Formats: sequence, structure tokens, C-alpha cells
Amino acid sequence: MPLIELKNIEFTYRGAANQSLSNITFSVEPGEFIGIIGPTGAGKSTLCWVITGVIPQIIKGKLKGTSFVKGMSSRKTPVATISQIIGLVQQDAEAQLLMTDIEKEIVFPLENLGLPPEEINRRLNYVLDLVNLRSECQRHPFYLSGGQKQRVAVATALAMEPEILILDEATSELDPIGAEEVHNLAGLLKKKLKTVLMVEHNIDELAKVADRIIVMDKGRILMDAPVRQVLSQVDFLQSLGIYPPQVTQTAFALQNKGVNFKQMPITVEEGMQAITRVNHNV
Amino acid sequence: MSEEPIIKVEHLYYKYETRDQFAVEDVNLTIKKGEFIAIIGQNGSGKTTLVKHFNGLHKPTRGRVIVDGHNTADHPTSELARFVGYVFQNPDHQIFADSVRDEVSFGPKNIGFTEEHIESALKLVLGEMELSGMEEEQPFQLSRGQRQRLAVASILAMEPSILVIDEPTTGQDWRESIALMGLVQGLNEKGHTCIITTHNMNLVSIFARRVIVMRQAKVTLDGPTQDVFRNVEELRAAWIKPPDVYTLAQKLLPDIHLDKPILPQDLADLLINAGIVGR
Repeated sequence: MPLIELKNIEFTYRGAANQSLSNITFSVEPGEFIGIIGPTGAGKSTLCWVITGVIPQIIKGKLKGTSFVKGMSSRKTPVATISQIIGLVQQDAEAQLLMTDIEKEIVFPLENLGLPPEEINRRLNYVLDLVNLRSECQRHPFYLSGGQKQRVAVATALAMEPEILILDEATSELDPIGAEEVHNLAGLLKKKLKTVLMVEHNIDELAKVADRIIVMDKGRILMDAPVRQVLSQVDFLQSLGIYPPQVTQTAFALQNKGVNFKQMPITVEEGMQAITRVNHNV
Repeated sequence: MSEEPIIKVEHLYYKYETRDQFAVEDVNLTIKKGEFIAIIGQNGSGKTTLVKHFNGLHKPTRGRVIVDGHNTADHPTSELARFVGYVFQNPDHQIFADSVRDEVSFGPKNIGFTEEHIESALKLVLGEMELSGMEEEQPFQLSRGQRQRLAVASILAMEPSILVIDEPTTGQDWRESIALMGLVQGLNEKGHTCIITTHNMNLVSIFARRVIVMRQAKVTLDGPTQDVFRNVEELRAAWIKPPDVYTLAQKLLPDIHLDKPILPQDLADLLINAGIVGR
């Protein structure tokens, strides 16, 4: 059974004239790492809220179609229940932090679940190591860098031991290495067989970790395919205003000059290998 | 680009009252008229603190900042604003009026533009920022991307000779970012000096001709874009990763001299010219 299954989802925000999501159908298998890309207004965040039940339970509007998480309807199952299966981390880490040190921040939702102290401790220690923040755990979140804050938000979500993590533009306000920290963490989760959905503008980074990419525009899914198949479509992505990986653009420019690649490289390492290989063939 | 310096920063130190350490420490810069500069560095490295000195929002704790011949310590921001336009990182820190028209007209009115001048500036900047027809809209009902463009429009309307944009593309997608930066580039080509701070290295590689790197309150690198992006070690120390096209160039063409910033198309040409790949 897929972990997430959406069929013919349509959604219109209350008071809005146009649909924000139209004819959305896809499913997610356990362990998949899916990148969701598309211009502003494509419906990416709206989609995350439908999956987590925030739409229609908290944010109202006209919702059609079905959305299931582990067989439970996300329309009817309380958001609090779904949040134990799906951790959602959004763009503005600061807005998600409320306690006076990192440890309290991570422990707060666990205490709310009524978990025994030993279990809370076990989870706290596990996520502090995972996001590499043990040395900082007594600090006030205010004094952390953007990347650290976002890692705290991820740690807090992970401490709930969700089966699925959704990162909705979790890196867009971070410096490049802060963003890389979050991407590396996402890559680590992939190795631990977590299911990850990542809404992301930084395609270069996504290319390194995603198995599959969903391309959205104007509330619709335009493409849903393995990562290389999507990112190789340089013209298509550019027509949507999406900046393909620079390595792929370089290979594409070479291809237009008559250089043939067996498969388009999407990361720097692949680019080096592919271009060196072409060289040897000449 | 003329050789005439338009901004001179001399031994600038700045300390926030609430903190022990300097937010900007012994920074020295000469910025020439017509340059297009990106200031990059980790969150909290001092980029915003530095650029807030250019229009006098911050006054030096020590040292001097001279903008177009004016020592910023002796002139209020309202006066410096005539030639230094400053666009805030968060448009909501800047927007205050009840309509797009009032928001954009406010600055030009205050610095004494005529009615006709204001009308023509309004029309021009709203057109350029893709906000035409929204004159009567309430700014806070616009999308984040639209509010960001409105913030830029209201500064552009004053026709400042120096434009400082703090994180121009936060909350914008790539197409919107390119459109916004394209407008800034157009102004740069008309002779405006443009200074941006950003985390988006792909944008820096496309638009900036000079890059200044800040790390822990100090400037640690300052030079042509193509040179700065090849200094991988110092960049890493400043929490910056160069665009992938530079990383690829470094690995495949380690000895090549770059005389201008490169994009993927340029790298493809360089690889063919260097005989690294053939047809």
C-alpha cells in the first residue's frame, strides 16, 4: 500500500476565483525521496497542506478528490493524528520555534504526547546526534544561525518519529552552506529509509538527493518521473522559469555543439565523469 | 564605469549596543561609479549591517563612510536617500501606504519631484516591476513576490544613483528573480551603481561583476566574480559554495585564466576550445 495516495484532487481557497490545485493524482511509496518543483503559485505548499490535512481542516475551501496517508483520509483524520505520521517543516524556521533552548524545543511536543521520560530522552539524544546539534542544545534558538535553526525545526519534527518528512522550501532563506546542511540531513534521512517530500527552488542540491521529481505549474502536475529524466529536460524546465542544474546546462550546451552523452549528468561528479568519458571516446 | 569612487569605506567598525562583538570590523572598500557588486557571506556575517551604512541607517562606531562626497556621519538618512536607494530584505519593513500609488509616490514627493515627474516615474517603475494596473491595490493584499517588487519600485521611483538591495530575491522564484535582477541590470547599464546582498550564487554568477565576501564581520575576499568563485577554500570558510559551473571548471580546467564571469554556455565553449571535449 502506498504511504500517500492522492486521487483527482481539486482545491479552491475560500473566496478565491480560481482553483489552486487541479486534477492532482500521485502516490508515494515508502523510502522514496521526492522533489517538488515549480514556479511561485504552482500550488506546491497547497499540496503539502492537503496531504497533511491542514486543508480542509484548518485552511478552508472547496476540496474534491481523495487524499490518503497510510490508508487514513487526510480530510477526516485529525491533523494532530496525521502529524504523528508526517513531520512538516516550512520556510520560516523562526516562526516554528517557541521555546528558550533547543532541548526544550525538541522535547515540548513529546511531552504533549504524554511519552514516558526515558522515551523522551532516547528520542532527544537520537535527533540531537542526527542533526549534529548536541553541543548547542542548551542555547537559545535566537542565537543560532539560520541553518542551525532550520536543523532544530527538522529535529523537532523528527523527534515525533514520523514516517514521512515534508520540507516546504526549508532552505530558501539560508546561506549556501546552511542550505547544504539541511540537504545533507535530508540525504541522511534517505539512507535511513525515511520517506521525504522536498519542495525546493535549489535544483542543483535536489539533483544530489532526489529519486523522483514532480514538476508543478498553475495547480497541475506537468511531469512526474525519475530525477534524471526530469532534470535532463533543460528546455522544458527553462520554459517554466526553472533553472536546471548548471552541470546539466553545460552538457546541454555541449550536446547542441554535437557532443553526445549517453545520459545527461545532473551533478558535478557525474559531469566530470561524463565529460572525461566523452574525451576518452574522441 | 568611471574610475571615480562613489563610496569609500575607511576602517569601518560597527557595534550594536546589545552585543559585545563588532558586527562590522575594520572594513575598507572603494566602490566606483557604475559597479555591480554582490556582497555574500553566512547569515549573520555583517552584510546587512555594512550596507545599512551606505544610506546612513547605521552610523560608524569608528571609521568613516563617504558616499558621493558626503560623510554619512554628518548627514541624515533623509538627505542621503536622495542618491542612495535602499531596499529592505523584508518588504513589509518598508511598505506602509494604503495603496500602491501612494507607496511609490511617497519618496519622489518628499525629495521634491514635480507632479508630472512623479506620474511618469510611477508609470515607468510599475511597468518595469509588472505592477501596472495595480495602482489602487492595498499593498498588503499583494503576494510576497509582488510586495518585494513594490518595495523596489518605490525606491526606483526616486531615481537614486546608488541602489542597495538587501536580499532582492527572497520569496521569489527563479523567473521572478531573473526579471527583477534584469531590471537592476538595466539600471546598472544606465550608470547606476548597484549593490546587492544575496545567498543565491547562481544569480551572483549571472549579474555581479565584483564580489565581496564577508566572514565574521570582516571582508575576507574582494575581487572580480570569476576570481572570487575560484577561491574555494576561503569561500568554504565563509559558508559559501561557488556555483557548480565554477566547481566543474575548476576540476576540468584547473589552470585556465578567466577574464570574465562564466555561465554554462561559456564553460561548454571553454571545454571545446581547450580540447577537453571534441565533436
